[in-house]
Amino acid sequence: MDRESRRQLEEYRRLEAGPFENALIDDYVAGEFDRGELIRRATILGVGASAVGALLRTLGEPSLAFAGTEALKAGGRMRVGIIPPPTGAIEPHTFADQGGLETGGLCGEFLTRATQTKRLLQELAVSWKPNANATVWTFKLRPNVKFQTGQTMTADDVVTTWKRLASPGSQALSAIGSYLTPDGVVKVDDLTVAFHLETPVSNFPYLTASTTYQAIILPANYQLGTFTSKPQTTGAFSLVSYTPGVGAKYDRFSGWWGGHAALDGVDVTYYSAAAAADAALLAGTIDLIGQIQLATDRPLFNNPNVQIFTAKGATHREVPMRVDLKNQLHDYRVRQAIAYTLDRPAIVKTLFNNLADIGNDSPFAPVYGLATSVPQRKKNIKLAKQLMAAAGFPKGFGITLTTEQTGEIPELAQIIQRSVKAIGIDMKLTILTATAYFAGSSTGPPSGWGNTPWLNTPMNITDWGSRPVPNVLLISALGTKGVWNAAHYSNKKFDALVKSFLAASTAADQNKYATLMQNILLHDTPVIFPYFYYYLAAGSKKVKGYKADALGQVYLSRSALA
Amino acid sequence: MARFLLRRSALALVTLVLVSILVFAAAQLLPGNVGRSVLGGFASQQSVDQLNHQLGVDRPIYVQYGSWIEKFVQGNLGTSLEYRVPVWSLLRTSLLNSLKLAAVAFVLVVPLSILGGVLAALRRGRLTDRVITLTGLSLTAVPEFVSAIFLILVLGLWLKVLPVTATAPPGSGFFTQVKYLLLPSLALVMVLFGYIARMARAGTIEALDADYTRTAYLKGIGTKAVIFRHVLRNSLLPTIAVIATQMGYLIGGLLVIEKLFNYNGIGQRIYTAAQNKDFTMLQSGVLVIAIVYLVATLLADILYSLLNPRIRFAASE
Repeated sequence: MDRESRRQLEEYRRLEAGPFENALIDDYVAGEFDRGELIRRATILGVGASAVGALLRTLGEPSLAFAGTEALKAGGRMRVGIIPPPTGAIEPHTFADQGGLETGGLCGEFLTRATQTKRLLQELAVSWKPNANATVWTFKLRPNVKFQTGQTMTADDVVTTWKRLASPGSQALSAIGSYLTPDGVVKVDDLTVAFHLETPVSNFPYLTASTTYQAIILPANYQLGTFTSKPQTTGAFSLVSYTPGVGAKYDRFSGWWGGHAALDGVDVTYYSAAAAADAALLAGTIDLIGQIQLATDRPLFNNPNVQIFTAKGATHREVPMRVDLKNQLHDYRVRQAIAYTLDRPAIVKTLFNNLADIGNDSPFAPVYGLATSVPQRKKNIKLAKQLMAAAGFPKGFGITLTTEQTGEIPELAQIIQRSVKAIGIDMKLTILTATAYFAGSSTGPPSGWGNTPWLNTPMNITDWGSRPVPNVLLISALGTKGVWNAAHYSNKKFDALVKSFLAASTAADQNKYATLMQNILLHDTPVIFPYFYYYLAAGSKKVKGYKADALGQVYLSRSALA
Repeated sequence: MARFLLRRSALALVTLVLVSILVFAAAQLLPGNVGRSVLGGFASQQSVDQLNHQLGVDRPIYVQYGSWIEKFVQGNLGTSLEYRVPVWSLLRTSLLNSLKLAAVAFVLVVPLSILGGVLAALRRGRLTDRVITLTGLSLTAVPEFVSAIFLILVLGLWLKVLPVTATAPPGSGFFTQVKYLLLPSLALVMVLFGYIARMARAGTIEALDADYTRTAYLKGIGTKAVIFRHVLRNSLLPTIAVIATQMGYLIGGLLVIEKLFNYNGIGQRIYTAAQNKDFTMLQSGVLVIAIVYLVATLLADILYSLLNPRIRFAASE
């Protein structure tokens, strides 16, 4: 440890670091997490690379060595297949589907960008910093960023965009609605924006990243409904034509703040059948498929001409069991028994060829690195039978599992049906189209959850996208009165722990609260989380510098063709 | 002839009104609601209700029907509830694409099937007849998605002689577009060949056995002339009717082919509209297909009546 490094670190702690940053340093010194996790957490708090480097040097570790970017060949147009096509108008703040977010994300940019390793990178913001209790986050914006309209980006653009995101009608409310109102987005100066949150949220910067895919920064004078008719984002590519259900064309934006993108442009073709997209990739008609699945795209796996891109994430299926009905599922022992019948390693092998992590009946996916000390729930038929007997159902009972025709979900439903037979449960399956499954009203509490099947059937399976942090899953899917609480679960202790978790400034505290929540969820078992599967994309060998994104963004600004 | 055409047109109009009522009623029966389909399962009910009101789908059904049909007859097909753009701007391209595919398939399958059917009839009971009949039957029995995948694998991926997608790059010339449409057209040929060839064969056999054919031979007319002047003219009458009825399928019913070859045809457009409760697109799309179908059958009727004067005269009486 040299004197200069120590001086730099002490200076940073004294002059710049707040309680969160100092807690981060203390946690690291105390061995709470490793070097990689330190860097990841530092990026969330907006700690600069020089400060992290100084810390590492002080502690005798190699300094930060950012990998040099791969030399990319310039030129060519990347031909991308997107499955399925966007299901509605391309309007960023209303994005709710894969096709829409991929189409918008190709040309749009965010305040920050989350990487595969959960690091936060600067994008349109260059730094961010919380106040002492993480209720106010201040973002410094990148200067001299040009929109494709020719305007220079200022705080007004960010404030207008974010006020729209925090207003009724925005699909981003699922991620930010619990903490942010339109009035909470405040311009500090031309290049500074402050977010005043309703409650402390220590991981708020994640919610400004590409993972909140609606949060594409648009000019303050953006007119709703004009996204596809006029290029007006800040990204490396500008959207120059869009035909619903058919495709989109993007050209390189010469005024991009990031320099000169390697590709001349991107041509997107929408596919509604995986077989057609697979054939197109194998025949060389397209170079990249934004999202593939093992179940539907098997010809692409183990093919020497195809590269499979993977990203670990928290995309998962939830099996909620209504805790408030006067039926057998009301008893937590029955819910536990059902969970104990599942052979999760076998399920992951069968459905994903092991391209998935096993779930422990909580939203704490392995990728979050939380509550890892809690033992994994394993198949145990003997214990399951004992629990059923204790609950007064030694001979089992009949129940219906309702779900949707999406991906591998029908196969999972059949596996659950076969598994619970071992404890005498006669399960009937009702498999609806996704449209029918999400149909009906979902008024949300306190007036109830409407009549939509996915929030009201006794037991079901629903598909959930990846989240960079588990906040929305804890609040909306498991919290009392959560709008997507399909189990109608309510536990005051759990609710209090969620609040503590969100406000926790240290890794140790976050892990402590997560562990407590994990244990409560294992006991109550309102929802089974069988697995968290990886996000997969496929490309030809010509594709260089591409990295899959856990939420499905197709980010091509730093990619090229060989 | 004019009276015949008038009667046919009036009948077509009544059919269209019935189709419009049927498709409108059927669309209402689809599960889910428009706002929910557009905004997704995780949207708040308030947003869903707001959007439904904005789109006018919360009005009484008869008001919605009246408003839609009134605009339709004025040439305004409305705005897509899903994409918020004029329906015709999307439907026009899809319809044009479907017509292109139907045309290429038509050009391939009609002469090939008629030739096969007539040849089989002329060689009745012999090996040629059996080969043509059995091949046609076997191909018809294979579902189109199987034959399409087979063609994609063999001609597209292994031999690499034809593109696996049906959409030619923008700005492609006529022959390039035809090249891109060949693979899906071949899949359609495989489906339709057996059926049309069978009709042509049966019609030809009937004509060959007819008194007028025997009389023609007895008058000393050569075989070629008998076949072209007397047999074909009569034998093709039922075949024309069959081909006309296939037009509806060729234009609006190629969902599987369009999906497998990723072709922006009207079948896929309507299917997506049905899935996402895009009423205006669905209703207008079906009605447009009905119009195309009725025009095709009307043309077939005219051709039929030109070839068979008995039809003309019966209609005029």
